[in-house]
Amino acid sequence: MNATSPESPLTPPPAVPRPHVAARTGPATADAGGPPKISVRGLDFHYGKQQALFGNDLDIAANRVTAVIGPSGCGKSTHLRVYNRIYQLYRDQRATGEVLLDGVNLLSPATDLIELRRRVGMIFQKPTPFPMSIYENVAYGLKLHYRLGKGEMAEAVERALRGAALWDEVKDALDRPGTALSGGQQQRLCIARAIAVRPEVLLMDEPTSAIDPVATAKIEDLIEELKRDFTIVVVTHNMQQAARVSDFTAFFFEGRIVEFGATRQIFTKPVHRQTEDYITGRFG
Amino acid sequence: MRRRPSRGRKAADTAVRAVASLAALLGIGVLALILAEVARRGAPALDGAFFTALPGPPGVEGGGLANAILGTLALTAAATAVGVPLGLLAGVYLSEFGRDTRLGAAVRFCVNVLMGLPSILVGLFVWTVLVVPFRSFSGYAGAVALALIMLPVVARTTEDMLALVPHALREGALAVGAPRWRSTLIAFKAARGGLITGVLLAVARVSGETAPLLFTALNSPFWPRSMSEPVANLTVTVFQYAMSPYADWQAKAWGASLLIMAAVLTTSLLARTFARERTR
Repeated sequence: MNATSPESPLTPPPAVPRPHVAARTGPATADAGGPPKISVRGLDFHYGKQQALFGNDLDIAANRVTAVIGPSGCGKSTHLRVYNRIYQLYRDQRATGEVLLDGVNLLSPATDLIELRRRVGMIFQKPTPFPMSIYENVAYGLKLHYRLGKGEMAEAVERALRGAALWDEVKDALDRPGTALSGGQQQRLCIARAIAVRPEVLLMDEPTSAIDPVATAKIEDLIEELKRDFTIVVVTHNMQQAARVSDFTAFFFEGRIVEFGATRQIFTKPVHRQTEDYITGRFG
Repeated sequence: MRRRPSRGRKAADTAVRAVASLAALLGIGVLALILAEVARRGAPALDGAFFTALPGPPGVEGGGLANAILGTLALTAAATAVGVPLGLLAGVYLSEFGRDTRLGAAVRFCVNVLMGLPSILVGLFVWTVLVVPFRSFSGYAGAVALALIMLPVVARTTEDMLALVPHALREGALAVGAPRWRSTLIAFKAARGGLITGVLLAVARVSGETAPLLFTALNSPFWPRSMSEPVANLTVTVFQYAMSPYADWQAKAWGASLLIMAAVLTTSLLARTFARERTR
């Protein structure tokens, strides 16, 4: 269905070395050092009467990239969509259990959703530029959360666009509609919009599955850059992508987390048979 | 396996194609005939006085329908001012908040019923609540009747247009921390072209309505001065003049028909350009 599915593997561009992936081995929890940014404990999820997640436990390390992989319908996206409680837009969806962000349960009714979503940004499968100019797209979130003068706003927008590696391509066209950009540029615009509000966590739900291979490589490079400042969780259908960009990998199957560990270990010596079968393309 | 012969299939194809084309041509042909006939008979009546003068007394040649033109504009504007905001808000409720609720289903059902209601019933209803108690036909009553006809049209198109906006866009807004109403605003903005189209089509629809005005705004041979009095308008004028025995009035009825038709046509064409902009 998409250009980078496991059936048609995209070979990583040789010009982009990723030494950290090889360097990082050993047990998942010990490796990151420091407390996890997000701790999931006993997370269940229901779509109406149908249960989609079963007792998920997962630690997301701060300033690392955690990949979430698994076959279609295994609950990857559902799991991710709990972290910013975006699922609450739909009245029949329900999450129970604990998701601790810096130790505070974000599933608690006391959570300020607007502040939560400032701290936990999200990038979607399809780019979602708003029907307004490139500048306004980035300024949108800033205006929601900060009081900035005109000059400060322009600076913040530029910083975000630079952070999303888009500035050089759009600096002379900031008043053009965001929807006029190419797919890959639109996705980076959405990343700029998300990082502009200075979040702590970035959730990416198959961020490159609607984008061509060249643009995908750019976004993967960007993920590499972004993890210095943000904790990143990326759902992906693309094994190579998970291997390239992530430090840790969680393998989901039928709503359960089958295996979680350092990416290198998951991809070289998976403990579970199901994980190995999925990674090697025997199913999924 | 034995193959079915293709001869019958091809004949059926030809027949269906011919009948469908004929039906399409018939539709277009009837419209063209009406347009041509109204233009032929109406054009001579559209002189300068038609647009500037008050109507003359019965049986006297000359005069114009300036008061009715002005009145129709005023009635349509007032109806739009009431019906469009209400319709847009109802549509937003249906699409964004009441999608899977019982109240939403009830409102949607009512909107559908209202849409199918004969316009003369709307006129009678407004007559009983706004004309009888105040003992006077009035522009207000006329505007309310027209607004009631616009309301369901605008509500439905608004719901349909908002439903076309991908959920991802609303989620995108919520994901950067927008409150619910702001994400709705984004969807609204994305659907802008379609919404304008819906509003224009509703305006076109009511600008040709006669029945709801018969019992409400009625008509008047004078300049429209106040909305609390009967207000002159083109459609009821066409109705009255066309049935009169005076050749001059009948000619003016044709002229007024041409004017209404041109207005509806222009509005519809405008609506189409906005609809095209939306899909771009």
